Amino acid sequence: MRSIRLFHTSSTWLSKFKLDPNYKFKCGIEIHTQLKTKYKLFSLSPTSFYSTPNSKVSYFDCGLPGTQPKLNPEALYLALKLAVALDCEIQQNSSFDRKHYFYPDQPLGYQITQHYHPIAKNGFLELNSKFDEIKNSSKKINIEQIQIEQDTGKTTYDKFDKSVKVDYNRSNMPLIELVTKPDFEDLQQVRAFVKKYQTMVRHLDICTGDLETGAIRIDVNVSVNGNPRVEIKNLGSNSDIQDALKYEYTRQVDSIKNNEKIIQETRGWTGTKTVSLRLKEDAVDYRYVPDSELPFINLSPTIASDIKESLPELPEQILQKLTSKPYDLELKYARFLTENRDTLNYYFQLFKSVADRHHSGKLANNWFIHEFLGAFTKINVKVDLDILPANFLADLVLQVAEKNISTTSARLLLLQIIQTPEDKGKPIQDLIVQYDLGSPVDMSTEDLNDAVSDICSEIISNNADVVERIKKGQKNSIKFLIGLAMKETQGKVNAKTFSEKFNELLDL
Amino acid sequence: MLRVRIVGRPQKLVPSFCRLVHRASASTSDPWNSLISSRINTNKDTTSAEKNTVTGSSTSCNSSTASTDAASSPAGSLSGTTYIAKDNIVTTHEFSTGASRILSNYRSPFDATVVLLLDAAGSTLLGKSNLDEFGMGSSTTNSHYGTTLNPLYSVEVETGKAHISGGSSGGSAAAVAGKLANFALGTDTGGSVRQPASYCGTVGFKPTYGRISRWGVISYAQTLDTVGIISDDIHTVEKVYHVLDKYDDKDPTSLPDDIRNSLKSKCSEDVNSTSLTVGVPREFVVGDLSQEVKEVWFSVLSQLQDMGHTVKIVSVPSIKQSLSSYYTLATAEAASNLSRYDGVRYGQTTEDLQEKAHDLIVANRTNGFGPEVQRRILLGNYTLSSESGDHYIKATQVREKLVNEFNQVFNLRHVFSNDTNVDKETSGRCDILVAPTAINSAPTLEEYHQQNETNFLNDYVNDILTVPASLAGLPTISIPRGKHGIQIMGQFGADQTVLDVSKKLMEVK
Repeated sequence: MRSIRLFHTSSTWLSKFKLDPNYKFKCGIEIHTQLKTKYKLFSLSPTSFYSTPNSKVSYFDCGLPGTQPKLNPEALYLALKLAVALDCEIQQNSSFDRKHYFYPDQPLGYQITQHYHPIAKNGFLELNSKFDEIKNSSKKINIEQIQIEQDTGKTTYDKFDKSVKVDYNRSNMPLIELVTKPDFEDLQQVRAFVKKYQTMVRHLDICTGDLETGAIRIDVNVSVNGNPRVEIKNLGSNSDIQDALKYEYTRQVDSIKNNEKIIQETRGWTGTKTVSLRLKEDAVDYRYVPDSELPFINLSPTIASDIKESLPELPEQILQKLTSKPYDLELKYARFLTENRDTLNYYFQLFKSVADRHHSGKLANNWFIHEFLGAFTKINVKVDLDILPANFLADLVLQVAEKNISTTSARLLLLQIIQTPEDKGKPIQDLIVQYDLGSPVDMSTEDLNDAVSDICSEIISNNADVVERIKKGQKNSIKFLIGLAMKETQGKVNAKTFSEKFNELLDL
Repeated sequence: MLRVRIVGRPQKLVPSFCRLVHRASASTSDPWNSLISSRINTNKDTTSAEKNTVTGSSTSCNSSTASTDAASSPAGSLSGTTYIAKDNIVTTHEFSTGASRILSNYRSPFDATVVLLLDAAGSTLLGKSNLDEFGMGSSTTNSHYGTTLNPLYSVEVETGKAHISGGSSGGSAAAVAGKLANFALGTDTGGSVRQPASYCGTVGFKPTYGRISRWGVISYAQTLDTVGIISDDIHTVEKVYHVLDKYDDKDPTSLPDDIRNSLKSKCSEDVNSTSLTVGVPREFVVGDLSQEVKEVWFSVLSQLQDMGHTVKIVSVPSIKQSLSSYYTLATAEAASNLSRYDGVRYGQTTEDLQEKAHDLIVANRTNGFGPEVQRRILLGNYTLSSESGDHYIKATQVREKLVNEFNQVFNLRHVFSNDTNVDKETSGRCDILVAPTAINSAPTLEEYHQQNETNFLNDYVNDILTVPASLAGLPTISIPRGKHGIQIMGQFGADQTVLDVSKKLMEVK
């Protein structure tokens, strides 16, 4: 991994890449998305990702004689959710077909897919400059169709003992294939689309959305100036997609410049270049035929509107909401929250809880993003929102706002809570008492003033060198003294009070 | 991890005991040898065949043979009966080969639904019977295990007097004719139960498509494959049918219970009727029919008239195109269904080292399939190839037309039909159709081979009488008349009508 990255940074032509306006880039993509169903597409074996090879395989999954498929309706539902979210026309009647080819990881000798009558057609996903970092203010990527199909087993090649290993756990897992129109005009659009799609499938909870694990697999089609298109198969990460597209565009432009003919073919990406896998003439004849064993899917005419009603708010709507009043979050934080549904729900609860008690919800923004989430990062602990329920954090925020506890004490308390699992679930009030962090509210102003004076005088006498520096003009060194005072009082007294006292005592 | 080594497949899914005892009958004077595998040794006497019948058998094999004792059989409508299953129906205790070399070492980890149902009803599986490889043929000569001869005739191959048993369920029909068991299960794709039943002088019943579960039935052509029942005794056929006529949620083509119930209420009126209309489709009067067959046909028709039924000539014009439609669909589906046999996960695999995974598959399939299967896979793949056009769709259209024409002929409305025109004029329509099962009685082995050498299509042409009912999924029975068979066909779902008429006809003989 590291060596590949090093290579990428050193191959300067990639980072300097620019489309040449004389050579029009045109691209369409195909996405395979593994659906997060409980069971496989046509059998009752559980879906699994990290199980022992060949431990989640039913009779049908490995194509035993005398077995038949049975459609898992959950896969159908997840596919419909996506289709509706992408504004596709749901097909009232759809059906399954067999696509034939021989390979050891293809147990039936064919894949059950939807070639003739897919479940959904003619959708789109709109990209915009505000949220998707593209150049145009908006760009519509049209979706040709969405189809449900089976995954294959997983083949690994062992060069050492010259064997092929096949794991059929993945066989018959549900996939959806999505095909876009060749609408992409530059690489940013491709990147933006893939990211938006990943966020969407995660948000709809139909796929883990990861490219690296193969839950999402991407093929791209590139053509330049209307020449035949070249397909690049199986790109495993966003940077692979970008690099492969850059390489392939450059290769095709060079070919055109050299008057070489571009041929329709399928290529693969090695990590540094694209290589020819097969030409159009060598393409397999898949001998498509309707799978007459499986019944047709007949959906009610209202299915699209029914599903639409049940869908959660879509990521872009949430982004829009979070970046507007009353939330007014910065885009990067809004995006972070949109991509992390649990965190998002927590945030909304916190915001409501703070706002309900007549305080500006913006307090919640700062305390949640910077202080609470920041605290986990600071001590390098995995974020666990359960440690402090949203209404408890709201209590803490309000205690600070009402000056019952200083900001410093509140920070200390957050760190304490994260590191002390026993404190989980204890009310904030109790914890403030437990750790003696409350502001000295029960002291009279006079007593407090005396106490502050005592502390400051003692610090002055113990730090003569610092005092000398301050008197010589290094006024910033006073912060050191304030720091010591804060430490001494565990932050119960605010910094401003100490600052004033030091200035008074030192005649500054 | 299951390792598919290019040099071969080290993991044996199939234990090597329980050797098949299918044997080419040409090498022995005893025709039974070629009939049955596994639990039955080469013994004519079924009672002694029950004891320890498998070479090197394990306890698991014995446990089910032991239950052959009527006393230890579970109570049920078939208690004390024995049966034999065509070897394209999978069972756990013996090999399930489809009579193909490619599955000659295959043992299924599960039992077919039909086997479980029969087990629960108290019937005992004695063994598995020979067939044309994967059901492809009408002679039971296309088998990895050799030819099954017809017990009605001499079995002396050398003298040229041996006759074929028909096919593809030839082993099942011959086993019943040879009184090895009370009944046998076959499968009927284009006549594979009815034709061998006719050749062997037994009853052969192909119920409505979707009535009997196909879970555990090795697919040949999945839109046509139907489990059928062969027995000497029509009452046994009926009893077995009632045991197997159940919805199975494992089979996506199994008729759901609501359809079964609505069929039951619709068909009940016909039961025991003495004034049915019997149709004779004129398209079945083909030139090749032998004189003897014609005479048998006429005699059955007059018997029906004597019972009080009305006989009339009807027309189902698409019967003429049904053969080409059938062979287009069946071979295309077969090419697809047999794609899974690559010797990678199970089945025979070559020991020769192969450079590429693809070479391994090519070698396994080339060695594993017999010539007729290879021929049909090629035909089917041609139909499915993008260059051939839309033969599959055209053949499906012919099939739909045929179904509509049958709907015009039958009184009973098709349970899936929403064509309201069908109901307009119902007077003078038929309750059943009657036609011969085969154009002649079983040919001798020599005649059969000679005809096929002249033209291999000859074998296909003989299916003209049985294929229409397969394409339309109609319940059809072949009842014996000497060495011939007569088919009674009913509308989709009218299985009971077909059985009731057959019972009456079996009484008069």
